[in-house]
Amino acid sequence: MLVWVIYDIADDPIRKKVSDKCKNYGLYRVQKSVFLGDLNANQRDSLAIECEDLIDPEVDSVYIFPMDDESFRKVKLIGQAFDKELVSDEVLTTFF
Amino acid sequence: MQLVINSRGSYLKKQQNCFLVKNEDKVFEVSANKVESILITTSATITTDAIKFAVENNIDIVFLDHFGDPYGRVWHSKLGSTVLIRRKQLEIANKEQGFKLARGWIEIKINNQIEFLKDLKKNRPEKREEMDEYITNINTMIHKLLELDGVLDEARGTIMGIEGMSSRHYFNALSYIMPEKWKFEGRSRNPAVDEFNCLLNYGYGVLYSMVEKACILSGLDPYVGFMHTDNYNKKSLVFDLIEMYRIHVDRTVVNLFSKRKVKEEYFDKIPNGLSLNKEGKALLIQSLNEALDQSIGYHGRNIKIRNTIQYDCHKIANELIK
Repeated sequence: MLVWVIYDIADDPIRKKVSDKCKNYGLYRVQKSVFLGDLNANQRDSLAIECEDLIDPEVDSVYIFPMDDESFRKVKLIGQAFDKELVSDEVLTTFF
Repeated sequence: MQLVINSRGSYLKKQQNCFLVKNEDKVFEVSANKVESILITTSATITTDAIKFAVENNIDIVFLDHFGDPYGRVWHSKLGSTVLIRRKQLEIANKEQGFKLARGWIEIKINNQIEFLKDLKKNRPEKREEMDEYITNINTMIHKLLELDGVLDEARGTIMGIEGMSSRHYFNALSYIMPEKWKFEGRSRNPAVDEFNCLLNYGYGVLYSMVEKACILSGLDPYVGFMHTDNYNKKSLVFDLIEMYRIHVDRTVVNLFSKRKVKEEYFDKIPNGLSLNKEGKALLIQSLNEALDQSIGYHGRNIKIRNTIQYDCHKIANELIK
């Protein structure tokens, strides 16, 4: 299922660690503190646990929102848009 | 996704849990969770870290030569399954069971060809009569095939002959429905002399690597074939099994031509023939991946075409050790 990860983290090194985590799980960065991508329930849970270990719960926040396909189709993108096909794993072949 | 490295001089390395590819002007980073296989079709640099990382994640790295034939692959150094499957595979090769298996594969292939020609006929009413003639010719071949009996050693030549004849009719039919500009004279390889064969050969090459992978994963020995005889480094079983799946490449290539997607710029002239260049490879691999991602009915359920190869191989392996 598609998952949005949105965070607000005060400390630079910790923020970097969280963003690396998201990237390693296969999420794509769609804004500075927003990641999006397709994860299964297990991956979603373990990402949540790993983020929880990293951040300072007194000051930081990380939101993990799952989103169903139907809602994702209704998403409106204005201005600098991300690649909808890439984040929803519809790209079968990537050439480099 | 399948990651295809087709820009000369690209550099692939591991970065944390991701693969990072870069060349002089761009960078692409993708998590190992998202990559199914890595195809390298040109000169590139890979770090050993990236190779180890791919092996650990069951992502195979396949290297394709100029004609699309896989000349190497990186895979873990384990057997993948029990040796019993290989023992049985050798045992049945010269028994009736081996003969029936091999005949069944060729039967599937020829039936696929007939189905495809029938599909093509539907949209081309003005060519119906000629097409019917080709189809009837291939049908006679199927009847001859089904009459055969015995063990492979005796029947091998006959089966090969039948298969060859039906393929000749089949490719004549395909050439007949091609747009005037792209008609071709039979099959040619290493190198292909025309654009149709050029695309077809490259597509088959990609398919070889998929069939080989499916064999390895299911514990079948790619070198122990039934129809195809043993020889040095000859992947006889891969040659045997690929017959059932060639149709997917055929359909993709014919579609590209009939939808006018093929351009002359996609081919480079080489001595005695043609070769597919970077843009041509990209078009073909992309379309092939899309075609293989379609679902079809398979023993009462719907699965993606690319997965039928693996299912079939597992089924063959399971039959062997029953």
